Amino acid sequence: MLKYALALFVVALVALQSVFVIQEWEQGLVLEFGKPVRIIREPGLYFKIPVIQELIVLEKRILAAEARPAEYITLDKKRLTVDTVSRWQIDQPLVFFQTVRNYVGAIARLNDITSARLRQEIANHNFKEFIREEREKIMNQVTKGTEEQAKRFGIRVIDVRIRRVDLPEEVQSSVFARMKAERERIAKRYRAEGDEQAREIRAKADKEREIILAEAYKQAQALKGEGEAESAKIYAAAYTKDEDFFRFSRSLQAYKNIFSKDTIFLLNPDSPMLRFLESPYGKPVNSAERKIAVPKAP
Amino acid sequence: MERYQNRQDQNSPFGEFQRNFDDYRRKLNQFMKGWGLWAICGILLIMYICSGFYVVGPGEKGVVLLFGKEYSISDPGLRYRLPKPFMSQVVVDVTKVRRAEIGFRSDGSRTRSVPAESLMLTGDENIVDVQLIVQYMVQDPVKFLFGAEAPENTLRASAEVALRGIVGENTIDYTMTKGRVEIQQKVQSYLQKLLDNYNTGLLVTQARLLVVDPPSQVQEAFHDVVRAWEDRERLIKEADGYSEDVIPKARGHAQQEIRQAEAFKAQRVIRAQGDAQRFSLVVSAYSKAPAVTRERLYFEAIEKVFSSARKLVTQGSDSKVMPLLNLSDAYGLLPAPPTDKQNSADDQSRKGH
Repeated sequence: MLKYALALFVVALVALQSVFVIQEWEQGLVLEFGKPVRIIREPGLYFKIPVIQELIVLEKRILAAEARPAEYITLDKKRLTVDTVSRWQIDQPLVFFQTVRNYVGAIARLNDITSARLRQEIANHNFKEFIREEREKIMNQVTKGTEEQAKRFGIRVIDVRIRRVDLPEEVQSSVFARMKAERERIAKRYRAEGDEQAREIRAKADKEREIILAEAYKQAQALKGEGEAESAKIYAAAYTKDEDFFRFSRSLQAYKNIFSKDTIFLLNPDSPMLRFLESPYGKPVNSAERKIAVPKAP
Repeated sequence: MERYQNRQDQNSPFGEFQRNFDDYRRKLNQFMKGWGLWAICGILLIMYICSGFYVVGPGEKGVVLLFGKEYSISDPGLRYRLPKPFMSQVVVDVTKVRRAEIGFRSDGSRTRSVPAESLMLTGDENIVDVQLIVQYMVQDPVKFLFGAEAPENTLRASAEVALRGIVGENTIDYTMTKGRVEIQQKVQSYLQKLLDNYNTGLLVTQARLLVVDPPSQVQEAFHDVVRAWEDRERLIKEADGYSEDVIPKARGHAQQEIRQAEAFKAQRVIRAQGDAQRFSLVVSAYSKAPAVTRERLYFEAIEKVFSSARKLVTQGSDSKVMPLLNLSDAYGLLPAPPTDKQNSADDQSRKGH
């Protein structure tokens, strides 16, 4: 009984040493005394000779290599702080294992390559181009260059992307100052524009008011003139019927209006008015007066 | 040995335990000799087989692996696979909408900005403060699990790449105002392209710009621009108000003047007509008896004039009385004692009558 158990235990131990599983996201490398003998790319259940053979498990998924921010200089001598992130995959496990051995080493190598390529590319472009127009193109160039060099390490580079592009601290403050100045300019312009338009609107209103009033004055004067003219015509038409009588009656009317109680008249009894003052038969009427008094027959 | 002997005493606790243990062992041996051992093995086997049950919750997918290799994908419910080490499963939630915060972190109700992430250069060499929120879900659980290492970290980094790339293509004004929607869309499509490229199996459902602000150092200047714009609008509105006030008033004055002129005209004409009519009537009456009428009119008028005026009748046509009259006094040009003045006036009027 005990013997069986012991045998079973030994068999199990050997089996555990020789059987292994490669997961879907892994790939394996089997070494025989350090010498690679088998590359396993597909997941599944595998066997190896225990003790003699050794298994190295590597990632099959896409990995990231994030580079620390570093300073670069553009063609127009501007300094920039740039960091990149590369995506890569172990393409040839054997080469990878022989050249860089592990992920840390691989990431360090990759970052060296990308930063060298990036330095070269940025140095060929002006600041503005780099920020605005050529970013994609530069990234593609860097990817291409890195791709070629990374092949030596059994690495397939999917892409290299520029993550952050910043100005160095001391440049930032001058950028802020410039931004502030620019905003102040815009603010001033808005206020001046407001003033401009307001003045224009007010002046227009004033002008319109003057025109309206002048037009009204013109119309009013014309109307008054018409009234005068028409009334003159009417008076003329009426008074020409008997001009002499008009003169007479109009004079009488004027006397009534002109003289008030403050007027002092020095009356002479010779005046026709006082003809009967001293005699009931009156003084003879001056022939000249008579003539005026009696109108010509119409 | 003596001490052990002592321990086996009836009263010591160890002695009791020893006896109980012996008892159990005896019973166990008996049990093992019967069906007991098989029963235990059977139970253990059943338990082992049952360890293959697992639950896929609603909205989840289970990815079943046979010796590490993808075997099948299971839908929600109680599922069974072979027990380990033959099969294993990974359950992924494929309907949950996940979110990634770029430029800020929210813990609970509070949000905290992360300037290193949120400050970025625009195409016109300005710096802008942007906060982005990305909503995403797992579209392909197999890719999500096996395509890329740490797919959600990949998403964060790629979102930053996309956001900074797109903002860098635009000016600060465009980014902060009209361009927001366009930038969101571009970031989303760019990010999706990167994620597909990296085999993450993630689908971006929304990329939304939460905050697009000037950096705090220059915020005041930007606010002032907004205020300046408001000032501008206010000035214009005030001027408009002035115009609205002045012009109707002017129109009112104009109407008033015109109506007054019209009134004047009508009045002149109508009065003239009246005067004319009166004159015509008087003339026609006069022509019937000219001499009498003329004199009557004359006397009427003179009567009226003289009845109220002061009069002085002199004898003859000589006007020797003239120098005697104090004209200044009569017209009140020089102040004179009131009584005297009154008397002289009375005298004069008495003389007249």
